[in-house]
Amino acid sequence: MEDLRRAFHAELDDARSHLVRLAASVTEAIPRATAVLLDGDLEGADYIIRGDDEIDARSLDIEDRCYRLLALQAPVASDLRQVVGLLRMVADIERSADLLCNICKAARRIYGHELDPKLRGIIGRMGEQAQQLYEAAIESFVENDAAKAAAIDDMDSYLDGLQKQFVQAIFESHAGGRIDLQVAVQLAVVARFYERIGDHAVNIGERVRFVITGWKPEMRGATLYNLQSDATGDLARPTGAQGDEPRN
Amino acid sequence: MSMSESSGHSPATISAEPTSLPEQTDARAEQPSAPSTAVFELRDLEVHYGAFRAVRDVNMTLGKHEITAFIGPSGCGKTTVLRCLNRMNDVVASARVGGKVLYHGVDIYDPAVSVTEVRHRIGMVFQRPNPFPKSIYENVAFGPRINGVRSKSELDDIVESSLKGAALWEEVKTRLKSSALGMSGGQQQRLCIARAIAVEPEVILMDEPCSALDPIATARVEELMQEIKSRFTIVIVTHNMQQAQRVSDKTAFFTAEVNPESDRRTGVLVEVDTAENIFRNPKDERTEAYVTGRFG
Repeated sequence: MEDLRRAFHAELDDARSHLVRLAASVTEAIPRATAVLLDGDLEGADYIIRGDDEIDARSLDIEDRCYRLLALQAPVASDLRQVVGLLRMVADIERSADLLCNICKAARRIYGHELDPKLRGIIGRMGEQAQQLYEAAIESFVENDAAKAAAIDDMDSYLDGLQKQFVQAIFESHAGGRIDLQVAVQLAVVARFYERIGDHAVNIGERVRFVITGWKPEMRGATLYNLQSDATGDLARPTGAQGDEPRN
Repeated sequence: MSMSESSGHSPATISAEPTSLPEQTDARAEQPSAPSTAVFELRDLEVHYGAFRAVRDVNMTLGKHEITAFIGPSGCGKTTVLRCLNRMNDVVASARVGGKVLYHGVDIYDPAVSVTEVRHRIGMVFQRPNPFPKSIYENVAFGPRINGVRSKSELDDIVESSLKGAALWEEVKTRLKSSALGMSGGQQQRLCIARAIAVEPEVILMDEPCSALDPIATARVEELMQEIKSRFTIVIVTHNMQQAQRVSDKTAFFTAEVNPESDRRTGVLVEVDTAENIFRNPKDERTEAYVTGRFG
């Protein structure tokens, strides 16, 4: 099949490639941030925090590419979903990089404090799981695999469970006098950062499904909202939220 | 299949004693927000030019007060289908229409139906503006006069309301007696729309009405379509997909199937849906390929 918009599709592919590379950078930074936290690696923390400016610049570049495609090429159908999906995904990736910086900043704050093996073990597993979620999200995007993208939500449940275990372990460690309150608070926040990184990976997976099938993740919630609005009649019904099942 | 074997209709079958189409409802009195009802229903429509089948198996409904856009590559039959809606194919000697074109449930190709009545109810605007070589006033008054309007004041009212309806009144009210041929292309096309609405049709067919116009004149015609759709049902053939995105409520995508043996192309309707669905998430791969340009 001859492509009549080759230049446009080449630009779109280029934007996709940049997004994949950006996501790969963030994925690789997840175990590094975990190592920074576990090893008290201040130099490594500084490296990741400084590197966030580059992530921001690359994110903005992808956004610019998308705006240019929207303004100049008037994409439709799957092309439109690709561009809109890229815009949404780049925000998730950029925010995930910020969360990794936050983990590194927490590492600075608890520098010099010993963590017991249970806490260290769960931190390691949270890092691994967050990385796996990100790898799966970006693979589903590269491979246009809606089924893999849909599985990320389930994978995230494991990370959510680890976060709960970790918070419990923090309480135990603090109650046992092994960490002080300041460290306990910092670790609880770190657990939240990992959990949020997982949520961003889930968001990316949902965007991948949208790009491939047109399915919109908010639909079920929006449908409930609309039903409630219709019942009470006092809330404005948002346009475009139709609660359809996936069209493809 | 020969003409004699066909169940289709040929121009020769138009009856000398026409029966009336269903009573036309007063479009102006109806609420534009009322639920859409079908004005046209096409059932297994096919068109032959001699032995050549140009279009086959078109099934769709056209809703009242909706703008339906026909899109598709050249030779896909969209103009052929449009021309079936007011029997314009009758003027092509070799054309033969099969299936049914139901207008409010009445087959307009029924021998008992008057073709004049059909074209009274279903007006048409063509690709190139084609004003009569008469004054602006006479262009608009022509149709009502044919329909028997004789009163000067009544004609004056029709001309004014039609020109206002076509967003042209302010531009031409001081020169109604001037030749229509002295108008710009965009004005001429809007005059043709005024001429079409002067006889108060229910449906206006537009065959690439903006293809000969500049972007500003195109924008005016598109704006006009939005303004008049509360009073008329509009069907537009366009090659401009962004125009279909901008103006249509429903979009129908046609494509051409090529017979590898004869190398003949036959038009088929691939998909009809809301414009939003066609341009955001079409169901058929062929539609997707066409609207995104991945089409050869």
